[in-house]
Amino acid sequence: MLASVFGLLSFTMPVKKHITVWMIGDSTMCQYDSSRFPLTGWGMKFEEYFDSSVTIKNKARGGRSTRTFIAENRWQPIVNNLSKGDYVLIQFAHNDEAKNYPDRYTTPGDYRKNLIKFVTESRDKKAIPVLITPVSRRKFDSAGNALETHEVYSKIVHEVADRYKVPLIDLDNMSIGLLQKFGPENSKLLFMQLEPGENPDYPVGIHDNTHFNTYGARHIAELVLRGIENLHLELADRIVKKKS
Amino acid sequence: MLFAFSERNKITVYLIGDSTMADKEVEAYPETGWGMPFHYFFDSTVTVDNRAKNGRSTRTFIEEGRWQPVVEDLKEGDYVLIQFGHNDEVPTKKSYTTQDQFTANLIKFVTESRSKKAIPVLITPVARRKFDARGKIEETHGLYTQLVKDVAEKYNVPLIDLDKESQELVQQFGPDASQYLYNHLEPGENAHYLEGRADNTHFSELGARKMAQIVLHDIQKLNLGLAQHIRVVHQKEKK
Repeated sequence: MLASVFGLLSFTMPVKKHITVWMIGDSTMCQYDSSRFPLTGWGMKFEEYFDSSVTIKNKARGGRSTRTFIAENRWQPIVNNLSKGDYVLIQFAHNDEAKNYPDRYTTPGDYRKNLIKFVTESRDKKAIPVLITPVSRRKFDSAGNALETHEVYSKIVHEVADRYKVPLIDLDNMSIGLLQKFGPENSKLLFMQLEPGENPDYPVGIHDNTHFNTYGARHIAELVLRGIENLHLELADRIVKKKS
Repeated sequence: MLFAFSERNKITVYLIGDSTMADKEVEAYPETGWGMPFHYFFDSTVTVDNRAKNGRSTRTFIEEGRWQPVVEDLKEGDYVLIQFGHNDEVPTKKSYTTQDQFTANLIKFVTESRSKKAIPVLITPVARRKFDARGKIEETHGLYTQLVKDVAEKYNVPLIDLDKESQELVQQFGPDASQYLYNHLEPGENAHYLEGRADNTHFSELGARKMAQIVLHDIQKLNLGLAQHIRVVHQKEKK
């Protein structure tokens, strides 16, 4: 009798406060409609690894830089809804650094300011910002080495994280490692690379070295989850972990 | 009137089969059944109803009362995609089904589908990842694949030889890269499989989509009416 009471007690989990993880970023992170399958943002796979105490709100949008995300009033509504203990995962740069798209481009100086804005305004609401360097594009040199594709803007993320003591996930570096492990040819399997006729949603095929398919998005999500574990964020305790 | 007309043109595609086809619990991700991506390929007139279940053979699928509800729901013009074998063919499994019983069960699925004017499609069991020492893929379903073909021929059922075509795909990937098609995870890589996984039967998201694409292309090659309901997208390639 006594044993069974203790048995029950030992299974009583402490009740975790419900939190929201807000994701802000670009097309590599965002939600996609099933009509564009297998195109998948890594946020879509990321959300599959949390227990019921976490709500993921993936607010990332294709084509957005830090500048246009703010200008289109996508950030202020998030600030208004932040609660103590919420997380804000921040991953931009693909569009900020695109000089050939003036409607998106953000100067390095403005990029830095915008990151600082995300960080300080999150903290004002007692939420926890996490800076993420931009996930790598697929680019190899002729010797088969995966190349850095965000040099300037990744460095700015590092500097802001360092200066403002923000938890940092160096996804740029981690994803370069992933691409290197797959190699120049097999790394195509992670991206939106489809032959003509292979998939009805892309009848003429597609050869995209920036956007992920479902398989690639999951691998990137795994890296971010590992980053959260390595940082020992409280959020790591809310990841559903199972033995094999 | 219009509403009645459009309702009549709605098609349900029932998938019956085993774990290689089934929907998965989120906590089992990234293991993926090929039925999961399959439903993305059709227009709004088609509903894919994936009734496949992990671990089931034709025998246990019927015994557990999973087939009769499908028969009851079937209406004229619906499809039934049938893929079993993995759990039927292993004598040491509780789900083991003798060859004769496997044949009889497939015939039951076919004839009862037809009695409701639905269209059965037989699919040979999808390949396992098994190579010989020289790097050639091995047939792992020989007997039961042949039984599916025999029933298809005798009863004039549209046949998708997924066993053969998936072997060709796995061979094309080769002994090493074919691991990406299956649920292969390193220790510590994925929170749902902390100790890692080296599964040569069940698919990753990539493998499941590739298998679903094979089935889809065969539906087109067989000229099934269902092929008219594959989503049409007008796309320009952009770099």
